[in-house]
Amino acid sequence: MIAQIWQYVLAGIAAGAIYALIAAGFVLIYQVTGMINFAQGEFAMIGAMTASALATGGMPVFEASAIAVVAASAAGALCYLLAIRPARAATGVTLIFITLGLDVALRGLGLLVWGTNPLSLPAFTGGASVNVLGGVLSPQTLWVLLTDVLVFAALYLFFRHTYAGTAVRAAVANPPIASTFGIPLRTFAFWSFVAAAAIGGLGGVVVAPITSATYDMGLTLGLAGFVAAVLGGLDSLPGALVGGFVLGIIEKLAGGLISTGWEQGVGFLILVLVLVLRPQGLLGRAVRRA
Amino acid sequence: MSRVPQAGYGPIALGLVLIVVLLVWVLPSYYTGLLTQIGLYALVTIGLNLFMGYAGQVSLGQAAFVGIGAYTSAALAVKGHVTPWLGMIAGALVAALVAYVLSFIALRLRENLLALATLALGIVINVVFNEWEFIGGSSGFKDIPGFAIGTFAFDQRAYAVLAWALVALGIWFAGNVVRSTFGRTLIAISAGELGAQALAVDSDRLKRQTFVLSAVYAGVAGAVYASSFSYIDPTSFSFLLSVNFVLMSVIGGIRSLWGAVIGAAVVVALGQILQNVVPIVLPSARGDFQQFFLGVILIAMLILLPRGITSRLGEART
Repeated sequence: MIAQIWQYVLAGIAAGAIYALIAAGFVLIYQVTGMINFAQGEFAMIGAMTASALATGGMPVFEASAIAVVAASAAGALCYLLAIRPARAATGVTLIFITLGLDVALRGLGLLVWGTNPLSLPAFTGGASVNVLGGVLSPQTLWVLLTDVLVFAALYLFFRHTYAGTAVRAAVANPPIASTFGIPLRTFAFWSFVAAAAIGGLGGVVVAPITSATYDMGLTLGLAGFVAAVLGGLDSLPGALVGGFVLGIIEKLAGGLISTGWEQGVGFLILVLVLVLRPQGLLGRAVRRA
Repeated sequence: MSRVPQAGYGPIALGLVLIVVLLVWVLPSYYTGLLTQIGLYALVTIGLNLFMGYAGQVSLGQAAFVGIGAYTSAALAVKGHVTPWLGMIAGALVAALVAYVLSFIALRLRENLLALATLALGIVINVVFNEWEFIGGSSGFKDIPGFAIGTFAFDQRAYAVLAWALVALGIWFAGNVVRSTFGRTLIAISAGELGAQALAVDSDRLKRQTFVLSAVYAGVAGAVYASSFSYIDPTSFSFLLSVNFVLMSVIGGIRSLWGAVIGAAVVVALGQILQNVVPIVLPSARGDFQQFFLGVILIAMLILLPRGITSRLGEART
């Protein structure tokens, strides 16, 4: 029994590693713009589908992955320029509708471009599964965990140790005052979309060998990413990391011990509880009332 | 708000029913089915527009209330041999009850967080449909009894007329709501909740009542859907359907009752046209690819007509 539960926890860590990446994208955009980007999961879909389609065409996995991340970033840039920026006068609810429209449109675009059949991506490296205290992790899961480490370390270094990162933090802390100091809020909003899309696309690429890639994978990933982001605190990047793993582990435990049908349901129950009881999340500060 | 329409909703709605009655006699049965679909979607969207357009809130979980109405009516009919006419009323009541309970959770939140909460509740309800074996679990209900009057069992044409009669009733009722003190107070809440509260408006109560009313519309539509299709399962009421209701609401015009009807008609009709036209250009196109075009239309509308949709123009567009 204990061994079984430990294996669920490991499976949860594997799932949570992906959720953390999607959640990081939500948090980046929310911090900088105050928006919840309902299309976040679709960037992962674009990354996964592009990489898989290119690799199926014969391209080496790493090159295909690099191009896929660029494609996802370009999609993020276009989303901002074509849909968000022109509507900058819009209120909160209108922005929700716009990103929902982006979600619907990108999923439909994925369907038009790649069709309904799942595509597969070879694992980055072969090799046997790794034994962790009696449970197993696949080599690809290790790649996902490595991606988490690199992405969150890069974000930490950027926000704490670069001039631009400090400027973004100032813009988040107080937009009007940051603006009077010449901090270009709109440029930051643009780059937050590009970065969120790149991270989402990377998440899609590294998960594709595990789950295979389908045009509608963005929906499930995006929804899990929300829960993770809200759980950890919508304005906290460390929260996204913690929220991702906590959600992954709870989901797999619920799926293993109750029923697989509740795997997704339990996450949303938690989301509701968090929104009501602790809207700032585990690690977040007070919720922005915008 | 200054331009409240003078013509009543009732007479126009009644005219619409007459047109549908004429149409179902001339249209092939396939189109009659589409007409029913548009009517039922419109019914849900009218309720959604009261909540989103007039009260200024947001719901990404409306499909769950459609599902509750459908499951209630189907369970009563299949397990208890209760006539769908009563099932429809029961479906509306159960949907209202669930909305009432959930409102204490969801309506404490605003905008982004309200959107997330309604999304989450909708998905949790869908998981309950899936996991609750008493109501069929993942396979749902088959052979759901249909509506009947005396010995006349409803056919496709009768369902189209029933759906549009309900739309007429729904528009007439919502029209009265919108033009009453209640409706004007809702608009005041959407214009600024704090300001409305300062004028002694119990905004929590009004939002709750509107949320419950929107669930009644969804529940009725769900009950008719269950009997007219005679088959339901949890996938019929997924998050994607909730998103489609938002598409209909916004494309038609969120603060407009006729907008709900137009939105439902546009989304269904455009979907059909695209399903037939796009494969000519792109033979590999399959599945619900029309969603791409609907998403683009939604965004374009919100950018090009931002004030036409969530502004405080009241009923100017009807």
